[in-house]
Amino acid sequence: MEWIVFSFLAVWLIISAMGTIFFKNPVHSILSFLSVILATAGIFLHLKAELLAGLQLIIYAVAIVVFYVLVITTVPWERVKKFEGIYKRELILSLPMLFLSFLSISYLVLKGQFEHELNVATLNNVKDVGKSLFTQYLLPFEIASIILLVAMIGAIILGRKED
Amino acid sequence: MSISLAYIILSIFLFLLGLLGVIIRKNLITMLVSTELMLNSANIVLASVDHMMKGVEGQVFALFVLTVAAAEVAIGLGLVVAMFRLKGYESSSEITHLRG
Repeated sequence: MEWIVFSFLAVWLIISAMGTIFFKNPVHSILSFLSVILATAGIFLHLKAELLAGLQLIIYAVAIVVFYVLVITTVPWERVKKFEGIYKRELILSLPMLFLSFLSISYLVLKGQFEHELNVATLNNVKDVGKSLFTQYLLPFEIASIILLVAMIGAIILGRKED
Repeated sequence: MSISLAYIILSIFLFLLGLLGVIIRKNLITMLVSTELMLNSANIVLASVDHMMKGVEGQVFALFVLTVAAAEVAIGLGLVVAMFRLKGYESSSEITHLRG
């Protein structure tokens, strides 16, 4: 049963990632990326990371995809038309390199030894992640909020009109 | 071969697909989408290692990766729109000022 779910999610993820890369129209590419996000949320649910799956849906599928679509609608289409698609020569040149790196990294992962059993099995995922986030990782959490604030100010400065 | 190891292999494949997208796409916005694919694959690795080692630290770091992804998309799309509005660039092959 586990492997049926895995193969379904893997096929879904790979097909939509291929669509994200190879669709000509950027809007189709974004919609295919939305499908990638949904498949990733399914993978998180399968790996018993429920909080991460919910946040993936909220942050990626709502905030980031809507932001991309809004930006695409602001760009005038007639000038963009000639820059759609992919570079053919770079595709042919980069495929063997990526294939070799996939084989070598997969070999390293399959041959390596992972250290097992960090602590006891978690029953309530949201509670455990929240407790760890707000006690042990409180400082990185606050730094993340500062990073978001800086990103917001930077986006406003980049987006205003030149005068 | 456990299920978490299979998910790690799958996420390596997804990462390389995102890298391929960054290499071959002509449009700047779709290049940014390909970087989002790479960030997603990093999140899958963190969650599957957590599932293997029965911890929660990987999920905490995956939350930080989500934060960085949100900041990156705000800054990156702001840069793309500013480049298009000020210079008229929309392709990755037009930005050649640093080529020398």
